Amino acid sequence: MTEAVAIRGLRKVFEGRAGAVEALAAIDMTLAEGEFACILGPSGCGKSTLLNVIAGFEAPTAGTAEVFGMPVSAPGPDRAVVFQEASLFPWLSVRDNVTFGPRMLGRPKDETEVLARRFLDLVGLAGFEHHLPDQLSGGMKQRVGIARCLILNPRVYLMDEPFGALDAQTRMQMQELLTHVWDEARGTVLFITHDIDEAIFLADTVYVMTARPGRMRSRIVIDLPRPRSIELLTDPRFNALRAEILRQIREEASKAMAAIAAEERARR
Amino acid sequence: MTAAVRRAGLGGLGLGLALPVVLVSIWEAAGRAGLVPQGILPAPSLVAEAWWAWAFADPGMGLNPYLGTWGETVLFSARRVFAGFACAILIGVPMGIMIGWNRLVAGAVDPLIQSLRPIPITAWLPFAIAVFGIRDAGAVFLIALGAFFPIVVNSTAGARDVPRNLIRAARMMGANERQLLLRVVLPAALPNIFTGMRLGLGIAWTAVIVAEIVAVKSGLGYVLWDAYYVGRMDVVIADMASIGIAGFLSDRVLVALSGRVLHWKQAVRA
Ligand SMILES: Nc1ncnc2c1ncn2[C@@H]1O[C@H](COP(=O)(O)OP(=O)(O)OP(=O)(O)O)[C@@H](O)[C@H]1O
Ligand SMILES: [Mg+2]
Repeated sequence: MTEAVAIRGLRKVFEGRAGAVEALAAIDMTLAEGEFACILGPSGCGKSTLLNVIAGFEAPTAGTAEVFGMPVSAPGPDRAVVFQEASLFPWLSVRDNVTFGPRMLGRPKDETEVLARRFLDLVGLAGFEHHLPDQLSGGMKQRVGIARCLILNPRVYLMDEPFGALDAQTRMQMQELLTHVWDEARGTVLFITHDIDEAIFLADTVYVMTARPGRMRSRIVIDLPRPRSIELLTDPRFNALRAEILRQIREEASKAMAAIAAEERARR
Repeated sequence: MTAAVRRAGLGGLGLGLALPVVLVSIWEAAGRAGLVPQGILPAPSLVAEAWWAWAFADPGMGLNPYLGTWGETVLFSARRVFAGFACAILIGVPMGIMIGWNRLVAGAVDPLIQSLRPIPITAWLPFAIAVFGIRDAGAVFLIALGAFFPIVVNSTAGARDVPRNLIRAARMMGANERQLLLRVVLPAALPNIFTGMRLGLGIAWTAVIVAEIVAVKSGLGYVLWDAYYVGRMDVVIADMASIGIAGFLSDRVLVALSGRVLHWKQAVRA
């Protein structure tokens, strides 16, 4: 299988006024083409940093990130990003937000319009083309954020807690929508989340990160059948996976707490 | 329904008119009762009469400059404000965006702007006259300079405060540097730019009056001072009122324009 994403010896240190923060220590991971990978880890362990390096938003301090064999140097439409707060352009209509990428890339107009309609349909936003982002609910904004990525036809999707700001009900709807969309669009996905159920429900593989500075602690294969539905949440295999991941997360979270306490003590 | 309407708009307007009406009535009564010398503060009815003649009377042989010349006088000033204000926008907006966007440009240009900004436009008068002479260009220069600073400062703030993720989103969708500036930074900065333009327009009207008093021989500022010299206080007051109306109306035009351009903000508030 082709390697869609290859991270080797990735280290990231932020030089700040308050000193240097080592966000990522040494990350090694590879995602196969078409793999849906979820990353779990305690808050502040460097998950967003990892995603931002792959997206080309941040340069690594050491190590490399490659996407389909090409070293990442800048952001580009081959790696679409879904942000936590949607980050739509508030002055553009839903449709113009979705067609923004193709317009920047100079793609033919009529083809773009057809694609926009198709993807807005797919994410359940038909009829909202002329709404402004601020007239939409959080879940609807996030659907626009997904549609504007789909239209790019990227090789990799990078999603940083895209449903983190949504209420539980909406989040569950969005998870089902995403599995449904993914069945159509395919592509390799790196999905960051805090929600263990979400990770198991969506992923082929779950990566658990250590407390900061972040490393990969484990890779857990989720061999639950697809298509997946909400009933899966009560499946005994699902519960076993959840118990195991929860145990690992807890361990890392308590390490993170201990590290913070030690830092506090050192400061005094 | 009537009560709601009255509370929302008409009632407010009526209330807002009440105070000026009372003040003008007192002023008129005091004038008629001979309590204020009419050569210094002519009664409103006399001002209105002079204003009417200034606006509509037949200029005759053209010996009295305050007959039928109001329209052209207002136009002289308005044209200068328009020219200077347009220059300020054409230079201030692109420059502000570049300063807010690019740290190198900010480092090179911002210190200069910040050190020139505290110099009041009145202090620029001798410089403007020395360079441009008693001509339109001097007035337009002063107006442009005065309006430039609020426009450039607000455009800078607008461009600097574009949410980082909007920039990142545009980049990941394939926008190049030019597209980023025109399609993301500029529209995101527009609310600030309009704030700067409104402030700048106010300064432009101040600047045109100052410039016309000193540096050119036409327009509302020139007439204001000229009428004072020949003791025509009725024209002075009519002139002041004209400046107020012109400033108010041009501001309304700008607000209407910003409402159209920033419809995406209005739509949400409504
Ligand atoms: N631009 C930056 N400058 C300095 N430090 C940063 C910067 N970005 C992140 N950090 C630090 O790097 C560490 C990792 O941050 P990151 O945002 O990647 O964590 P995260 O795992 O995404 O956390 P969360 O789950 O809360 O989103 C944190 O300690 C953070 O304070
Ligand atoms: Mg994060």
